[in-house]
Amino acid sequence: MAEQNRTALKEVVSVTYITKDNAKFEKSSDFIKMTATLPNEEGVAEEKTWDRIFLHRAFPFDFPFAYISVLDADTKELGMISSVDDFDEETASLLRAELERKYYTPVIKKILSVKDKFGYSYWKVETEEGEIEFTMRDTFSNLLKVSGTRIFASDIDGNRYEIPDIEALDHKSFKKIELFL
Amino acid sequence: MENRKTLTARVRQLAPELKEEDILLPVDFNLTPTAKKRRTDGIALLTKDRILVFADGEKTGDIPLSELEEVALRKGIGCCFLEYRKKDGSWHILCRADNQYVDLYAAAAKEISRFLEGGEISYDYEKEIDNRCPICHRQYRPGSNVCEHCVDKKHYIKRLWDISKSSHHLIYLSIAFYFVIAAINLVPPYINRILVDDYIKAAEMPKLAGYLAVIAAMFGVYILQKLLGMTRSIFLIRASNRITVTLRELVFDKIQKMSIARISKRTSGELMNRVSNDTGELSRFISNDLGAMTEQILILLAVSIYLFSYDWRLALMIILPTPIVISSYRLFHSFMRHVFHRGWQLDSRENSILHDTFSGIRVVKAFGMEKREISRFDKVSRDLRDTRILTEHFFAKIQPFLNFLMSVGEYFLLYYVGNKIIGGTMTLGEMSQFSAYVSIIYGPLRWLSWLPRRLTRTMTSIVKIFDVVDESVDIADKTDAIDHRIDGTITLDNVSFGYDKTSTVLKHISVEIKPGEMIGIVGKSGVGKSTLINLVMRMYDVTEGAIRIDGIDIRDISQDSLRSQIGVVLQETFLFSGTIYDNIAYAKPTATRDEVITAAKIAGAHGFIMKLPNAYNTKVGERGHTLSGGERQRVAIARALLHDPRILILDEATAALDTETEKQIQDALQKLTADRTTLAIAHRLSTLRNANRILVLDKGELAEIGTHDELMRKQGIYYGLVMAQRQMSRMPSKKQARPAS
Repeated sequence: MAEQNRTALKEVVSVTYITKDNAKFEKSSDFIKMTATLPNEEGVAEEKTWDRIFLHRAFPFDFPFAYISVLDADTKELGMISSVDDFDEETASLLRAELERKYYTPVIKKILSVKDKFGYSYWKVETEEGEIEFTMRDTFSNLLKVSGTRIFASDIDGNRYEIPDIEALDHKSFKKIELFL
Repeated sequence: MENRKTLTARVRQLAPELKEEDILLPVDFNLTPTAKKRRTDGIALLTKDRILVFADGEKTGDIPLSELEEVALRKGIGCCFLEYRKKDGSWHILCRADNQYVDLYAAAAKEISRFLEGGEISYDYEKEIDNRCPICHRQYRPGSNVCEHCVDKKHYIKRLWDISKSSHHLIYLSIAFYFVIAAINLVPPYINRILVDDYIKAAEMPKLAGYLAVIAAMFGVYILQKLLGMTRSIFLIRASNRITVTLRELVFDKIQKMSIARISKRTSGELMNRVSNDTGELSRFISNDLGAMTEQILILLAVSIYLFSYDWRLALMIILPTPIVISSYRLFHSFMRHVFHRGWQLDSRENSILHDTFSGIRVVKAFGMEKREISRFDKVSRDLRDTRILTEHFFAKIQPFLNFLMSVGEYFLLYYVGNKIIGGTMTLGEMSQFSAYVSIIYGPLRWLSWLPRRLTRTMTSIVKIFDVVDESVDIADKTDAIDHRIDGTITLDNVSFGYDKTSTVLKHISVEIKPGEMIGIVGKSGVGKSTLINLVMRMYDVTEGAIRIDGIDIRDISQDSLRSQIGVVLQETFLFSGTIYDNIAYAKPTATRDEVITAAKIAGAHGFIMKLPNAYNTKVGERGHTLSGGERQRVAIARALLHDPRILILDEATAALDTETEKQIQDALQKLTADRTTLAIAHRLSTLRNANRILVLDKGELAEIGTHDELMRKQGIYYGLVMAQRQMSRMPSKKQARPAS
């Protein structure tokens, strides 16, 4: 009895890692299918197939492709992937594509205009994907400075935009955003 | 996001074979469903027998409805998906769009799924499009249909004017005073001229009486000027204070009436800003800037008219340097804005570090992080110092130069006027009058160059104030809401609830609670227990179904009447600054001292209160810091009991107490709760041993209900929870036993 209790405790605190040795990912229609040998609720390893798994970043700003949580369709965590790069190239690119699809974050190349009006700011930017206009509320706190020069902006709808290196922006763009930093 | 009409037109261009009535529900999308990142321009639509997808002008999908089971929304990060499940159980992506579409897709998914089950399309989903300003497509504030981006500023100014009705006479009076003062301002230079021409440089010996009269006039004008200015200021300050108080009351009143859902969308700091800073800003504008603006403009006009009518070439010469000065001010300004902004930011960062470290001082000390905090603070302090020095240096260097530039006109004047005097076409007195006017005119000019920024700032405050004031009350009493004396039956009839449109926290909960029953609510954290009791208190309105008390829908009962009969002890016990007595008597200010003591006794608070030197008169510090967690909780229980509520709600009310004290309070409560309906949430299941029935929530649904014994026999979720807790409480002894075994 005592022995069992200890095992159960260990199960609660330990992290299940999903690696190239215990799991296989493949594309299945629009989603990713996973076949993996993972400990079940009793802690016994068991092979199972999930038709649809979802990925969630543990450190979305710091590690976009590492520390990835693998979730089932009910958003229950099945395990963690230490790094997408640990898998073979094909699997890695599959996982990467899924992550990039879920986390839609256009990269801002140029700030065309910023208008600050009545507590809202109205942005017009050039991204890799063309011109985008968006509105930010409470601009100062919604411009998230991740590292010294990397910035994430979230607009009123919850969309995100990234500026990978604020110092690499052209002078005019930099001047426009500087006031809010 | 486009509406049905334009989308239908676009679809008919892409697929001319479709008739208008075939297109049941079109939605557009702007991201490609599968590729990494790319914007696209697409439409997905429901027809009578299939779902079609068009992307960038081409048909990319065609799913017959016979294969379709349901359509659902899935949220990504910064984007959302519409997905469908086929009859074979497989899931597929229909389309993907950025987050703007999330509410629209949630509503559309519901409608399509309902349609698949044989229902009708109600076009309710279109509300999510109407939710946006047709001009700029930005979402309106919740509850409003005014787009603050596109709204006419005049609208707000007019509203403000209407609100300040009681002060209109004061404002009119002060404006009248401004005219008089502006006129009087023109007098001293005129007297000065008389003084110079007729007395100082007079050809013959002037009369002493006249001379004295001129001096007296000057003195009189000066006194008059000051007196009028004083009266005017008093009027304006009175007006601005009245308006500010009206606005503050308006805003505070509104915030008090807002539902928890609305209030929790804003931080308390933000709300405080609305009430104090924004109204303060407005008050400053009315009492200082509005007055100054009128005055300066009037002076400018009066002096300009005089100067131009006297000699237009001279006037031009004086005004000539102004544009240069104003533009250099502007230049200087945009730089200053940067520096000021930086200073302001560092200032607020310094404040937040101070706030953080002081309120978290225990943690700092416990982890031995004093050095790190010191260096963090030092760095910000030093940065702030450097910025301040930069600002001051800049000011010191630039200001005199700008002032000099401003007065360059006076040198032109000297030259021109000097020539005239030598030529004999102008007297010395006239010159002195003229240069006095010149120095008067520069003041307003300089002042007006700062005006646009002040106006923007004030306008922003006005808009923010009305932003709060205009917010619709989402949980409002019906006009025919009744006051009901609660007996205690609570009926939940198929209740579903979600905090936003895309999520459901509680699903189809039906239960009837009899008067006087004590119901325990258990379930994992985040399962919706607190949400459920919030719904009973009507902090939120149910999304579907109804909650009835004694058979009356709680939406038909006035909120005052409802809440005055519910006593609540919440998870986070909040004590107001004031004495312990004040806190207990909060909900019933008319309570006698005896009642307060009785309530405290039942709550097990009397004992520790009497140990305090000031007993019931002890002041509880900020958030009740002088009391321990358990003590605070007992004060909160006393507060809820004093109210003599018909329904008692305990949300983890005794969680911070030791089991012994808890038991005492429980037993006292039991006598009390005998004829009161009680809802109690507890993680510690022993707390619920007096409960008549236990309600087990799981994944937002009512999983089990019954007495403790019934549920134990059932060996379901509740049984599991009880067993887990028993194991937990046994754990420490097992652990200790381990080395021996």
